[in-house]
Amino acid sequence: MKTLSIIAVLALAIILPFIADIYLIHVVSTIMIFMCLALSWDMMLRTGQLSFGTAGFFGLGAYAAIIAVDDFNVNPVMSIFVGAVFAALTSFGLGIAVLKLREMYFAITTLALTSVFTVLARNLSDLTGGAAGKILFNAIFDGDPKKTYWLILSFTIVVIVLSEIFERTRVKYAISSIRNDELVAKSSGINIFKYLLIVFVITSAIQGAAGAIYAQQYAFVEPDSTFSANFLLLPIAMALVGGIYSTIGPIVGALVLGFTSEYLKLLMPYGHLIIYGIIIVLTVIFLRKGVYGTIMEKIRSK
Amino acid sequence: MLEIKNLSIAYGKVQVIWDLSITVGSEAVGLFGPNGAGKTTLINCILGMIRPISGNIYFDGRDITGLETYQVVRLGIALVPQERELFPLMTVEENLKSGAAYIPHARNQLVDRMNFVFTIFPVLKERLSQKAGTMSGGEQRMLAVGRALMACPKLLILDEPSVGLQPSIVTEMFAKLKQIRMEGVSILLTEQNVKQGLKVIDRGYVIENGRIVIEDKSEKLAQEEHIKRAYLGV
Repeated sequence: MKTLSIIAVLALAIILPFIADIYLIHVVSTIMIFMCLALSWDMMLRTGQLSFGTAGFFGLGAYAAIIAVDDFNVNPVMSIFVGAVFAALTSFGLGIAVLKLREMYFAITTLALTSVFTVLARNLSDLTGGAAGKILFNAIFDGDPKKTYWLILSFTIVVIVLSEIFERTRVKYAISSIRNDELVAKSSGINIFKYLLIVFVITSAIQGAAGAIYAQQYAFVEPDSTFSANFLLLPIAMALVGGIYSTIGPIVGALVLGFTSEYLKLLMPYGHLIIYGIIIVLTVIFLRKGVYGTIMEKIRSK
Repeated sequence: MLEIKNLSIAYGKVQVIWDLSITVGSEAVGLFGPNGAGKTTLINCILGMIRPISGNIYFDGRDITGLETYQVVRLGIALVPQERELFPLMTVEENLKSGAAYIPHARNQLVDRMNFVFTIFPVLKERLSQKAGTMSGGEQRMLAVGRALMACPKLLILDEPSVGLQPSIVTEMFAKLKQIRMEGVSILLTEQNVKQGLKVIDRGYVIENGRIVIEDKSEKLAQEEHIKRAYLGV
């Protein structure tokens, strides 16, 4: 039953470009990018560390990919790996320092890192194009929305599989025990720092790759919009609405909020963000475990 | 097995352990003393969570002073911390498995270790799928000890195993510890309940203000005037 529904959803996702119009393809592509960010944020949260660096590594990946194509003639598809690797290396270096911090201090520091990246992007004009940013001649796949969609879909599948690996292997005990109680985790023989660093690097690489794809899709980077707080706040909202500490939660959250926001935009071009905000507030207050968590609880108690 | 030589520990400028030496062989050893004597500090130092200002800790002849906690644990020292010891939202089975999952030599014999834990705590076998946080205090403490045993320890360290338990459970708990001792695992425990503690241990130390004031066999400790007056209330 479960396998069947997964295959059905997957099949639908693959053939979607043949049955849907360009508008829907585009909306789903964007939702999947945010889904990956929401998942990566949740994967870090599972270790108990609240990261606000999502937008920062997203932007780093975006810049790395655009610069790779523009200045080094890298193939746009390959530039996504460049973005991921660049974000991973940066997070490895920073993680060694930052992951000694906990709770609020970790959260604020990761938020500050995003600002530092933005300032660097704006001021290293020779490399990044300064405040004006950088524009490529052509978007990835010459702007073909179907091919872009399949690229994003494959990336999303990779991220979902990664998240499930985290949930099903020994890594799960390590990260959830670090979240539960670091003292106990330590005395169970867990190298806490090593696991935090692994998770931090992997999630940053995901964010970097997501940024790279997003930037290649629109063929430009610009400090304020590339490092926009949207790439931090929307993924967090999606994970919270769907339900944290799981793979399905952020997926459900991204779909619910993604489609709701599109629908609201059509319904009321001005002021849709107010309704959107109210929905987030209400779900967080009344559905503490998120949409998915609450539904599962209802099913189980019956 | 465990040898601590001339250990001094300080928090900032406040020294809490003064030139302290203890040994634990193939036996059960107790550390007694009032609140603030430095018992938990000493244990945290053995596990590598605090660095001493001077002195050395040897385990099986190897200097483990300054090793990281996870490295100490992998050498064969397991800890049952005071009070907070389980992952309450995980099941009994997951808690037990997490005790062995990160210790390479214990991981390879997971099933054997589980069975070993079940021979000592049969009640855990019936509760495998229950969430750890929903069990009674006594059962949780037993699970915590079981989890520590999953790591294949040569030395089991327990910080106040009786704290917060009702008297009948305390008696049962200490009987279990005796059984574990018989299976060849050395034990180091701190205890404020000296009367019960003395029944399990072979040898004991009394720590006051970070120094060892008495060291003796358990039957002799029970006869000590100081202990009778200060800890046993007779």
